[in-house]
Amino acid sequence: MARAATTSDAFNAIAEPQRRDILALLRAGEWPVTDLAQELGMSLPGASKHLRVLREVGLVRVRGAGKQRLYGLDARGLRPVHEWIGGFEQFWNESFDRLDAYVQDLKQTQQEE
Amino acid sequence: MAGARQATGAADREIVISRVIDAPRELVFEVFTEVRHLSRWWGPEGFSTTTRSFEFRVGAVWDFVMHGPDGTDYSEWITWTEIVPPERIALLHGESRDDPNAFESVLTFEPDGRATRIVMHTVFPTKELRDDAVEKYHAIEGGQQTLSNLAAYVAEIVLKGAEG
Repeated sequence: MARAATTSDAFNAIAEPQRRDILALLRAGEWPVTDLAQELGMSLPGASKHLRVLREVGLVRVRGAGKQRLYGLDARGLRPVHEWIGGFEQFWNESFDRLDAYVQDLKQTQQEE
Repeated sequence: MAGARQATGAADREIVISRVIDAPRELVFEVFTEVRHLSRWWGPEGFSTTTRSFEFRVGAVWDFVMHGPDGTDYSEWITWTEIVPPERIALLHGESRDDPNAFESVLTFEPDGRATRIVMHTVFPTKELRDDAVEKYHAIEGGQQTLSNLAAYVAEIVLKGAEG
């Protein structure tokens, strides 16, 4: 069951530091697996395995370009992560930041009076 | 492990946000009750509001326009459904009068030592409306975001998380 969770859940997929390294690298553009493995100091089978997990949860996609297969970021799998991070919640957390600063000002003013 | 964030029952229709503010409860409550206060903090940095009308009592409304940092205006319509000073405010939040997609938020203010804990509990009529609201507020904050921008944006956060 734990294995099933890893391959079906973006949150589990990005909990692994090496997979986050891969996502961070792919942010800048597409990479073939051999270059990616070399860049990140991973073994080729290791990098392939991580890429497979990332593909299965929809975080990474692959396309053929001539003889090469290029890996890139895929937004579909990021949607649940994106939603979890925020929108509505971020809006309110930032509003509460401002509320906090404003209330501190008010408190200060009241103390001075 | 995955079960910890798995939605159960109404959980996939609601969003709970809480914050501790280092100030007495009466003062924290007060900044929700008058436009001169609300206009100083409503919305993230860079947002402002223009109020058309405001009255703070049950059944009355706050009718206002929210201006985003990119110049976009958003019509906002809030009706107070419960007011219990200085403990609790319930409100219905929509884009206009009779907005069928309006949603209810309940704000509670609890003393936490000398500070105050605000808990904002929002329940959407359906999971779809909750998801729509999340997307809408992403758009409000970031302007029009394409999915590729979205990918770069989330990857940046993932990267920050990895560094932190």
